[in-house]
Amino acid sequence: MVSPMPTLIAQTSRWRRRRRAGLWVLSLLLAVGSAAPAADLTPHPAALFIDRPEGAEQIVILDAIDGHRVDRTREVSFEVADVHVARVSATGLVEPLADGATEVSARLGDRHVTIPLSVSGVANPAPVSFEQEVQAILTKHACNAGGCHGKAEGQNGFKLSLLGFDHAADHAAIVSQSRGRRINPSAPEASLLLLKATAAVPHGGGRKIDEGSPAHRRLLRWIAEGARADGPDDRPLVALLVEPAEVRLRPGESHQLRVSALDAAGGRHGVTRETDFISNAPGIVGASAAGVLQAGVIPGDAAILVRHLGHVATVRVVVPREGIAFVRPPEISAIDRLVHDRLAALGIPVAERCDDATFLRRSSLDTIGTLPTAAEAREFLADPSPDKREKLVERLLERPEYADFWTMKWADILRADKSKIGPQGAVALTRWLHRQFALNRPYDEFVRAILTADGPVGHESPAAVFKALDGAEVAARSLSQLFFGVRIECAQCHHHPSERWSQDDYAALAGFFTGVKLKVLPGGGEGVVSRGGVDLPHPRTGAVVPTAALGAVPASFDGPSADRRRLLADWATAPDNPFLARAIANRLWAHFFGRGLVEPIDDLRATNPATNEPLLDHLEARLKALRFDLRAFTRELLASRTYQLAATPAPGAEEDRRHYSHALPKALPAEVLLDAICQATGVRESFNGWPEGTRAVEVWDNRLPSYFLKVFGRPVRATVCECERGTEPSIAQALHLINSPEIEAKLGARHGTARRLAESALAPEAIVEELCLATLSRPPTAGELTALLPLFVAGGESITGGGDGDEVLVRRAAVEDVLWTFLNRTEFLGNH
Amino acid sequence: METFAIGGPARRRCDGVSRRHLLRLGSAGLWGGLSGLALPGLLRAQEARLPGSPQPRAKNVIFIFLEGGPPQQDMWDPKPGAPAEIRGPFKPIQTSVPGTIFTEHCARSARIAHKFTVVRSHTHADNGHATGYHYVMTGRRAPFADGEYPVPTNEHFPSLGSIVARECGSAGTVPPYINLPHPMSAGGPGFYGPEHAPFVIEADPSQPDFEVKDLGRLAGLSEARLTRRRDLLERLEADRGALPLSGRSAAMATYYRKANDLITSPQARAAFRIQDEPEKLREEYGLTQIGQGALLGRRLVEAGCRFVGIDAPGWDVHFNCFPSLSTDLIPPADRAFAALIDDLDARGLLDETLVVMMGEMGRTPKVNAQAGRDHWSMAQCILFAGAGIRAGQVIGATDAQAAAPTRDPVSIADFRHTLLWLLGIDSRTEVNDPLGRPVSLSDGGVLIPGLIA
Repeated sequence: MVSPMPTLIAQTSRWRRRRRAGLWVLSLLLAVGSAAPAADLTPHPAALFIDRPEGAEQIVILDAIDGHRVDRTREVSFEVADVHVARVSATGLVEPLADGATEVSARLGDRHVTIPLSVSGVANPAPVSFEQEVQAILTKHACNAGGCHGKAEGQNGFKLSLLGFDHAADHAAIVSQSRGRRINPSAPEASLLLLKATAAVPHGGGRKIDEGSPAHRRLLRWIAEGARADGPDDRPLVALLVEPAEVRLRPGESHQLRVSALDAAGGRHGVTRETDFISNAPGIVGASAAGVLQAGVIPGDAAILVRHLGHVATVRVVVPREGIAFVRPPEISAIDRLVHDRLAALGIPVAERCDDATFLRRSSLDTIGTLPTAAEAREFLADPSPDKREKLVERLLERPEYADFWTMKWADILRADKSKIGPQGAVALTRWLHRQFALNRPYDEFVRAILTADGPVGHESPAAVFKALDGAEVAARSLSQLFFGVRIECAQCHHHPSERWSQDDYAALAGFFTGVKLKVLPGGGEGVVSRGGVDLPHPRTGAVVPTAALGAVPASFDGPSADRRRLLADWATAPDNPFLARAIANRLWAHFFGRGLVEPIDDLRATNPATNEPLLDHLEARLKALRFDLRAFTRELLASRTYQLAATPAPGAEEDRRHYSHALPKALPAEVLLDAICQATGVRESFNGWPEGTRAVEVWDNRLPSYFLKVFGRPVRATVCECERGTEPSIAQALHLINSPEIEAKLGARHGTARRLAESALAPEAIVEELCLATLSRPPTAGELTALLPLFVAGGESITGGGDGDEVLVRRAAVEDVLWTFLNRTEFLGNH
Repeated sequence: METFAIGGPARRRCDGVSRRHLLRLGSAGLWGGLSGLALPGLLRAQEARLPGSPQPRAKNVIFIFLEGGPPQQDMWDPKPGAPAEIRGPFKPIQTSVPGTIFTEHCARSARIAHKFTVVRSHTHADNGHATGYHYVMTGRRAPFADGEYPVPTNEHFPSLGSIVARECGSAGTVPPYINLPHPMSAGGPGFYGPEHAPFVIEADPSQPDFEVKDLGRLAGLSEARLTRRRDLLERLEADRGALPLSGRSAAMATYYRKANDLITSPQARAAFRIQDEPEKLREEYGLTQIGQGALLGRRLVEAGCRFVGIDAPGWDVHFNCFPSLSTDLIPPADRAFAALIDDLDARGLLDETLVVMMGEMGRTPKVNAQAGRDHWSMAQCILFAGAGIRAGQVIGATDAQAAAPTRDPVSIADFRHTLLWLLGIDSRTEVNDPLGRPVSLSDGGVLIPGLIA
């Protein structure tokens, strides 16, 4: 019979390359049996086995109340039948005392369950494994943490590898270095390692391990056994099993996790006590060192990183909002269905659909980086056709501004920095990008062209990318982050602390770019060539690492002078590549929806899961089905009801920032905001040396002096991270908008919008409406009219400085101030 | 003076006003510290001393950063007995403190050496500019390679200025943390977020047309009209209809209020008006960027700023260094520093203002083949003045080549702990980093020995 507890699934990632073949991702499906009727307490596991003196097994006692699973572990009273064999703590941790068989009982009121327990290996234990048992202690007690002996320079002369990834070096550091004084074979208990850990001698880190504790006993036994390194009899860990893999908690509720390690021979033992638990949202769900999840009072969700030695797994926890009956709105596409599924599970209500004006403004700014004009707004709002939103999106995708805007976005992250790649390189790269977006080049072809770019840097091509990304390692880590969403750079110096990537992977990837050279061309200028290359040494051991793509088998190149990057491009654009489509789908989703399903958007990994994994799976599949047609993909995103939600949350959804229950406001890029101000005021910005009428979005020169662009966060294009674009507001921005001579000049310009309207025959109401449409793409509200119309009436204070009697000046000042007010609305400064 | 009731003897913080008092007054105070984040660092009871022992006295800090790495042996740690290729061409001179010598180009500070203290044994192991600057300002080793432009992300540790601003809040009408004449590249708020970013004056105060951008009166607009605009905007924004104010738009609304506060406060605008200073005093500071920056710094702390960061670049003298050191670099810095100390002293402000001058590294003992000196973080000088420190001392010493400390080595953590202590901020106060890990304001550190009176 299958347990009422959902099946326990653990996905673990393996860091160690040497055992990678088929093992680093291992899915396990375990059914835990139980014969108890549903009303009874359910123990996990159903039977206990402990095979070493310092072993410990965590018991979890589950109960069901109205179909909701409740963890009773910390409420029941435990008892061991034969107290000579084992003891059990109040929190359900069972520790062995002697070999034998007995049972543990758990009692809650008049209900009770028993769990058979078998203890072996206490009298004649297997030798302690350094790699699995000693390293686990050093990691759990933070000895090898980044702030202690695990930092690059070590601590007080004792250096361990970060989180214990380098067994050989750590073993040597403990056993051999410092003239072996850390280990005392003749008197193990007098070993400095133990004296420091227990603070029996002064230890900068204080007491980490209690004398007599299981950790202390195990270290002592390891030293007494000769402080040996692992040998062939030690069975490496292959997977981590975390129970349960998904948890649903009510606010304030807690739940014990159980972690088991599985070795290559199929053995399984409890390591809950030696595992780290890290919540990505401690305010929602906390995780204690003992593996107890504690829900706070705020509903939400969290992912718990579970880490033991080199293995990581994640546990998804949901704390649903209670008392919400989720009403499923109409669903236009699978996107809506998947978003609603998640919202329903969390109990978050979904917002209304946004109005036409909001949709017009939002989709224009998002898709082409351009504010709708007053005329466009008026026309769209008046259009009675039911499919006008779809038709608008079609028009936007065909507008020339589409290519301008996306060129700018990609020039940022492909590092088209004039001072780095020269003006010729920046122009060439910008032109090439523009052509790709104008022609809607499929994204996989686009990536292939960049990965294999060569030829003159100054010719229209992506070759300049390799001038910006100078050096094999820079190219590897930048392009990996950009195209694959893998931040391999952490693995340059050490194992990624929460992922599978190692220094091997880093060197292996960089090997693709070792043949790339920048050559001076006969006619002047520079060109990129890629011919041959070498495999790179491991950064620490110096052993040569065969060139390979991420998680792929070593590449076999067609001869010594082939362009190695072609094989990388083949791998990247193969239909089964697990990174490329997913990374760009997440990037585009983040662009249009204000937050990536994964954040940061270019850091995709098992331990940084998407807030909605099925949705990201769906988007990845759609992009592939659409053959990487970015416009078609954009069309699907914008057609969803989810994209068309209002920014106003439904009651009960105010705190949601992660699950798309309402539209998230977005910052406008500096260039887009400047163009919007220019368009609304009717006064172009003049960029020194650029033709009259050039829009800021079109300016390829990222170093062109502009106070506005600087203060509103134009990126310097020094990295491939979109985060470089400053989206944070500042006092300087506010000062500039409300009090700068530059903006004031646009408001009062003789040929500007304000003067044109002031000198027109339009009535004040019509003027306010025109300005509101030109800035906010909507007609003014009654409140706005009430506030703004009195400006047109002369009288009272001396507003104009030229006397109240001058009607021309009064009207002029009124129009300028109305426009000033709209330009400074928070509604204008962002995209909502 | 308000004092803390918690934990032993009375403690002052920044200006003796307790955090709780500030909160009572309402964190609504525009430049007040933030609300809703960690409580301030109360100095712990166990560090409390006997009655009559030193108390933190600093209300604010003027921090002059000699970016690029000033040469210790050519300024405040001369080695006249060393061979010529080490001691360089500058002559030693006596100072107002018997037995203490500087080089000849530090003549003005030499005259008032009894008013400040030189730490000659500052030492750390980061030999990069960007990374060393980051180390000094954040107390943490840089998470990026030297030469990389630190992008304005929110993951780094907050800088000293942001910490002081957050803990103390402004005492007046100007922002609590100001950088001039450009941003300090390592002076950002890190994960504290934009609320604690410096207000940056991007203009050279030594220029005749110096003004703070967008703070001037707009030509042709009457006061009544400016008021009308502000009132209109406030009225319309208050009635936002369906659009919620959250995240970025809430931050922008905060900045609008702060910007309006700056524009509408005559005192704030006056504080930036360095042209109001008497010509004679301006000349005393030197009509240089660093000189007028120091003078503006004094005006800003008078107006309530807590941390003025003055970035003075140009000290990375790898080539033919002595002509530029003896003309463009050392004398202006020497003059600015001495004038600032004298001026603060004359106004009775020195006791509550901490003045610090330092760089991110020192320079190599041996003059290189290009007649310059290269990077050397092993031995550096820090100048401290004001805030009740014991003045007129030399703390620490270096070996015969000014290459390494021979006693009382002072680490970045010690420097940081000491600076925060002087403001009454407990450097062990923990804040959560973006990953939720508690980290303390200083990574350890002890008081610089003998500095506190």
